[in-house]
Amino acid sequence: MAKRITIDPITRIEGHLRIDVEVDNNSVSNAWASCTMWRGIEKILRGRDPRDAWMFTQRFCGVCTTVHAMASVRSVEDALNLEIPLNAQYIRNLILIAHALHDHIVHFYQLSALDWVDVLQIPKADPAAASKLAESLSPWTRNSRNELKAAQDRVKAVAASGQLGIFANGYWGHPAMRLSPEVNLLAFSHYIQALEYQRKALQVVGILGSKTPHIQNLTVGGVANAIDLDSPAALGMDKLEMISGLLAEVAQFVQQVYFVDVCAVAAMYPDWFKIGSGVRNYLAVPDLPLDSKGSGYDLPGGYIRNGELGAVKGFQTAADEVLRKSVTEDVMHAYYQGEKALHPWQGETEPAFTGWDGDQKYSWVKAPRFNNEPMQVGPLAQVLIGYAQGHALTRKYTDQAIDKIAAIGGVRPTPAMLHSTLGRHAARAIRACMLAELAQKHWQLLVNNIAKGDYTVHNQPVLPSHEVEGVGTHEAPRGTLSHWIVIKDEKIKNYQAVVPSTWNASPRDRAGAHGPYEASLLHTPLARPEEPLEVLRTVHSFDPCMACACHAFDPSGRKITVAKIL
Amino acid sequence: MSNKVLIGGIGNVLLGDDAVGPYVIRLLESEYIFPDNVEVVDLGTPALDLTHRMAGLHAVILVDCVASVDRSSGTVLLYRKDDILRVPPAQRLDPHAPALSECLMSAEMLGAGPEHVLLVGVVGESLEPGCRMTTAVETAAERAIQAILAELARLDVPYETRRSTLPPAIWWTADAVGVRES
Repeated sequence: MAKRITIDPITRIEGHLRIDVEVDNNSVSNAWASCTMWRGIEKILRGRDPRDAWMFTQRFCGVCTTVHAMASVRSVEDALNLEIPLNAQYIRNLILIAHALHDHIVHFYQLSALDWVDVLQIPKADPAAASKLAESLSPWTRNSRNELKAAQDRVKAVAASGQLGIFANGYWGHPAMRLSPEVNLLAFSHYIQALEYQRKALQVVGILGSKTPHIQNLTVGGVANAIDLDSPAALGMDKLEMISGLLAEVAQFVQQVYFVDVCAVAAMYPDWFKIGSGVRNYLAVPDLPLDSKGSGYDLPGGYIRNGELGAVKGFQTAADEVLRKSVTEDVMHAYYQGEKALHPWQGETEPAFTGWDGDQKYSWVKAPRFNNEPMQVGPLAQVLIGYAQGHALTRKYTDQAIDKIAAIGGVRPTPAMLHSTLGRHAARAIRACMLAELAQKHWQLLVNNIAKGDYTVHNQPVLPSHEVEGVGTHEAPRGTLSHWIVIKDEKIKNYQAVVPSTWNASPRDRAGAHGPYEASLLHTPLARPEEPLEVLRTVHSFDPCMACACHAFDPSGRKITVAKIL
Repeated sequence: MSNKVLIGGIGNVLLGDDAVGPYVIRLLESEYIFPDNVEVVDLGTPALDLTHRMAGLHAVILVDCVASVDRSSGTVLLYRKDDILRVPPAQRLDPHAPALSECLMSAEMLGAGPEHVLLVGVVGESLEPGCRMTTAVETAAERAIQAILAELARLDVPYETRRSTLPPAIWWTADAVGVRES
């Protein structure tokens, strides 16, 4: 007899993602992913000046502010066919890289590591043995016995207080937890250190963007940074040197700690290379443009169908013709009015809330489709698409990951095994290493270009009076992001954001095809269905971020009745 | 010991009354001058980054829209560290789930929790998409400001009233943004 389990954190503060699974004989037999909140923010943009749109879209989500700002200016630039000065491209690229490094570190340590790491095992660890193990895995200098002992003492203090506080809702002692006390301690020590490096990455965003969390330096046609090598107020050598130093520190943490920890977890949970695959259609857009036209990129894009890496198709540009024509959104199972699947330029966002019904409508997320098929987006999509195309930097770090996992655990994963829960984590760490290396490259490109005497940062946009359409894309930390704009009479006529979590958390479409979260959960074995840790592992591996929405503190711990307003 | 103070506005400016945190920050910036050890910032909806924003500070004053089942909208409620730490952490399904209480718990666990924490909560009425707040919440902003200034006085943090106030940078309610956020 199947039983239904619902994971719905909106019963407390701010959750937006709800997962329902049916469990039969300790295995997931059906799954639904839904978003519990309305995403109608796009309507606020209609009638506004397209040059202002990015300031509003930056407020879609408090976690991914910069990415929505960037996709927005790119959508207007695409509509206006506007080139971007080299300095502006490099400055934007550095912001995107720093934000992504921050995001990937936060995701692994703050949002998913504790799915694999059992905090309550940490007091049993021998810090000296943990330090010795760490030194065999990585040259990182902060794995000393003393540093690990200090981390262990923090856990002991929390445990001794009788209140688990921040750790109160973990599935500690769960039979699916398998790391030794020493490995648990190492990972936890890095969880503490990660806070420092995520802050350093954000400092880079703050220096270039003039503020975090909401950058101020964007403008349609470029950036608003004044470049003057000798002025402390402008972007000069002292700020550039500071950025270089911060990026180097973050790169070291990513390559010597994050990457190694992911490989170690993968090596010790090899069965998770066989779990969580789901939708094997992948989509990624090229990003980190290398010239003012956007005709060469440092991150590759394209698409793969049915997991066939050999049949990969590449995108030439970030707004490739194939991409422009192939995206639609279906609302058969989403709380919106409308019958036909619509292209985003024709997209509508008219709510029709009917309550959760797994056979009918059950989510506020639309179902985006690429040539009518669901697509998985995110670092795994980008790494597979790059690997399949022979992209050198992708191959370098993917092969390093495979070697490292084999060296630690003995099982040598193949690229095909990346279609899995662990594959998503590995791909994110691979991508972080690539970005860490590219950060140095784009910093150098910027400095070299300025040294040539080019201080240009902006091309003036001219809004036409006739109707124009544009798409701005960004390969964001969670995957392909696209903003679709229609401009008429110098005002926004329509605006739609198709965000990465819309692709991945998509509900079923009219053909009944599951979205990626849903498909990835099918057949997942559960050791204790009442503690569905395994479901969380797979959902977390996608790095879900549903919000783009609201945050409110409810000190009573009672449900905030946002859904009831609708 | 750090003497740094953070005054942060939390909320989404596109969701009705949830804008009250950023709104109060813009009013504060336009009407008062604070010393260098005080950071006044519109935090948006910061999620986990709040942890390292708060870590190691002397005092944190946050202003946010709060939910209440029995208090009318526009009511200003004050919460201290213990009130906030009492809220249990949620399952972290996505990065928005860890809210203020988790971030404060993390900072405390690291031994870096701020010594003084005050949350100035304004009870909201409507969180529907839109750039206007309800009248009750908009008029509550002044009371929230007085609560923040009273906390600064309690902490012996000096501040001055600007002789000529700047227009508050509340760009999100304007039809055309024109002047960029500074």
